[in-house]
Amino acid sequence: MSPEMLAYPFLFLALFFESFVLVTLLSKPAKDARGRKAAESGGTAVLPSVTVIVPCLNEGETVAATAESLLALEYPKDRLHIILVDNGSTDTTPTVMERFRSNPQVRILRVPERGKHIAINAGIAVTNAELIGCLDADSFVDPDALHEIIPCFARKEVAAVTAAMSVHRPKNILQHMQNAEYTFGITMRHTLASVNGLYVTPGPFSFYRRSAIEKVGGFRHGHQTEDMEMALRLQQAGYAIENAPRARVYTTSPDTVRKLIKQRVRWTTGFLRNVLGEYRGLIGARERGALGMLVLPSAIIAIGSGILLFSLMLYELVQHLATAIEIRAGIPLSYALVPHGSLDWFYLPTSFYLTLGIMMLFSAIFLMAIGKNISKTPGNLVLGFISYTLLYGLIAPLWLVRATTDFVFDKRRGWKF
Amino acid sequence: MSLVTRNALIALGITIALVGTVAFAINYLDQARIAELSTIEDQISIDALSLETQFSLLEAVPCDSIASSTTLSGELLTDLDNRLSYAENRLGSDDLQVIRLKKKYSLLEIRDYLITRRLALACGTKPVTVLYFYSNAGDCGDCDKAGYALSYLRDTYPTLRVYSFDYNLDLGALKTFIVVTKTQGPLPAFVINGKHFNGFTSLADLENQFPKGALASTTATSTKR
Repeated sequence: MSPEMLAYPFLFLALFFESFVLVTLLSKPAKDARGRKAAESGGTAVLPSVTVIVPCLNEGETVAATAESLLALEYPKDRLHIILVDNGSTDTTPTVMERFRSNPQVRILRVPERGKHIAINAGIAVTNAELIGCLDADSFVDPDALHEIIPCFARKEVAAVTAAMSVHRPKNILQHMQNAEYTFGITMRHTLASVNGLYVTPGPFSFYRRSAIEKVGGFRHGHQTEDMEMALRLQQAGYAIENAPRARVYTTSPDTVRKLIKQRVRWTTGFLRNVLGEYRGLIGARERGALGMLVLPSAIIAIGSGILLFSLMLYELVQHLATAIEIRAGIPLSYALVPHGSLDWFYLPTSFYLTLGIMMLFSAIFLMAIGKNISKTPGNLVLGFISYTLLYGLIAPLWLVRATTDFVFDKRRGWKF
Repeated sequence: MSLVTRNALIALGITIALVGTVAFAINYLDQARIAELSTIEDQISIDALSLETQFSLLEAVPCDSIASSTTLSGELLTDLDNRLSYAENRLGSDDLQVIRLKKKYSLLEIRDYLITRRLALACGTKPVTVLYFYSNAGDCGDCDKAGYALSYLRDTYPTLRVYSFDYNLDLGALKTFIVVTKTQGPLPAFVINGKHFNGFTSLADLENQFPKGALASTTATSTKR
């Protein structure tokens, strides 16, 4: 049996999942979500009180801009408050925060005991707002983002709402790659929310109904992924998690491969530890609908298939290279290094494996374009498409392998990159 | 039926349709490749027959300008050889259509080789011919290297006529040809202007088997197919 045969079931499942996303995207609930009108500050309905908590650990460089973007939100000032939580920073964060102390909308907390969940819980403890938002201190929101979030809480069973994330001013090719990936995530989050299939409420600008948090309890360490743990706990308790695809938030992304891998290893091990640990009961649970029957199993399979497909690619690459070097030994380099192929259609590399892979790539790019369109995110994604195509398949398996190894051997790492 | 179940079933249908379409398209292209190979072989077959007929017609004066210009195009043979190798790699050496095409191609090569020898005898020309016998049965570890080295020589010296044969091909004419040319294993086996050589160690060793000056006298060219 050819090693390629091992890849076919995974490629089939990946295509199936992408097809499911496309079909669901065209279904009524997703259409209705896209047609949802933003709340209006000047409307007759009373807007809920909102508090946004910004946990900070050594974010002196960005926390001011983060706070400024929150203060610029189009929302009645008496109904919007911001809590900046210094979680034991050793840089200029406390000094930068002090600049906002005189602002009546801002409250500053000092929580020396480190832990993002501890910082968020401290913020929750000092507010009575109906809705509680979280925003990482390296992220920035569009002024109308909160107006897009509020209507998503219309249904009582909605406990949390996620936003549409993009990378803040991508500079290098790695950040462009992540921007494309985040834009892909906008489509996925929007679509899966329409069938209540979300299992993470990301740090950048996710909102929670206070009563729901009180019912399930505060944030936990959650294996360094407190946002995922909270989302899973809300799902387990029978709540719904919505998405506001036009609530745009921009987050700072890792600018080196090392930092990116460290961040993603944390996310992936957090996922594996939560989902295969405390929340394994959600996997395959019919009563959890798409989340239990499709989304969580697919996410687990995706980790395995990412590693397998990369290993296969590597194996074939090494094998071809070794053969190519061996048969070219002793042949003049002026001949051996020049490709002797032909552009004739006859030589078109039409393997089943390659064609399915290309189809998957194109459908991913298509979903990215949809994500950009439905979120109305400004900017050009061409560099993102190119870097995603060239790099993602090479880098992602590195964090998948490392995360899986850490999970299997129960190795714990620090979370700051 | 819930929305999720309905969507999952539709997605399953779409996926099966997509995978089926890919499988159909790939099979369609493979059949188109076979058809193209067949067309090229037919063309060469007609050329060979025409050549033999011309040769017979001009038996009395075989070396005049008409006859001496009627050898089969080496470029065409090389092109067919490359395409056949590609098809064999894609479809497998045990594919019945590939085997049929290889048999036909081997017959064409034998005919071209015989005509080339006849012309050489009649007209006193000194073509450099290489009969190369390989195997895909897993008993020829150096055949890939030998094949690549011959491709290099053929591309570098365009007047070199290389004829490659699958030693294990079940074809009567080829078996007779192997006997007539006194070719034996181990593989790869070469017959260079009638001189036998077995195995492949390096390009330099292979070049040493050519008649002195045979490669140097041909025109080196950088033109590649």
